[in-house]
Amino acid sequence: MPLPPGTHELGPGDGTLVVRTGKGGAAAKAGHNLVLEVTRWSATLAPERLSLTADARSLRVRGGSGGISPLGDEEKAGIAQTIDDEVLKGGSIAFRSTRVDAAGDRVAVEGELELLGVTRPLAFDLASAGRRLTGSARFKQTDFKMKPYSALFGTLKVADEVEVAVDVQIPTES
Amino acid sequence: MVELDHTFSTGKDTDYNWQAILDLERLVPCVEGGSVLEATSPESVKAEIKVRMGAMSMTFKGTVEVAERDDDAHRALLKVKSRDTGGSGYANADVTFDVADGGGKIHTAAQISGKAASMGEGVVQSVLDALIKDFCGKLGRA
Repeated sequence: MPLPPGTHELGPGDGTLVVRTGKGGAAAKAGHNLVLEVTRWSATLAPERLSLTADARSLRVRGGSGGISPLGDEEKAGIAQTIDDEVLKGGSIAFRSTRVDAAGDRVAVEGELELLGVTRPLAFDLASAGRRLTGSARFKQTDFKMKPYSALFGTLKVADEVEVAVDVQIPTES
Repeated sequence: MVELDHTFSTGKDTDYNWQAILDLERLVPCVEGGSVLEATSPESVKAEIKVRMGAMSMTFKGTVEVAERDDDAHRALLKVKSRDTGGSGYANADVTFDVADGGGKIHTAAQISGKAASMGEGVVQSVLDALIKDFCGKLGRA
């Protein structure tokens, strides 16, 4: 099914944009795999283009698995603060497509992701079902000159590769 | 019980190094997250160490004392006794310093219980090893 015609402005009211992180290092057992929701973002979707910007200060912890104890509200808030202060530091997050190819229930997207001032090519597939679009992209933090966050004297590290997943419902009004 | 051996280099002479490791108010802050709360005698202090695990952290509070010293051999045993302020665990260690010209050797025998120990002995050993290596680096610059 092709993308709905017209240009659509999308945001958090239309679905979710989440970042999933893993962990590594000798003390990986002490850390959590995180699900972080980007709570402020906006995207423009047209049959031939897709662009998105996200507020780096709007990530909130929605889930965490593993670790030696479950994440409480205080820890979740602390992680968001650490991301603000030590990882993203309010830097730029923007994606702009160079090619969008919808065929059947699959939308192939190629473009460029700008992350904290560094721009790299990024390609991913979305699945469309009616007006619902879902999909994810993976990239390495080091490709964007980011140093993956580490703690416990470097024995606990956030995995270099992160996954960004989207699940949106394209609104009927455009 | 986790036992570890490390060496440190300061580039300073034996007397300097010997005084440095006996000066607990100077030594304790060389441990990342460590601070002296109160000097209770010339050879003992109340201290705490805050270990950050990302947003989560554990704070151990207790005492550090020079339990044995041999001024001729430049060998000292420091005893660390601490409790996890947020739980029922503890972290105790016997740390033996052998000081020489230019640096020295550290032997650590640690006993850890509670939440930190639940990570498993291998993980505790890795974290402790990294902590002491970091400490050795700071000691060289103290």
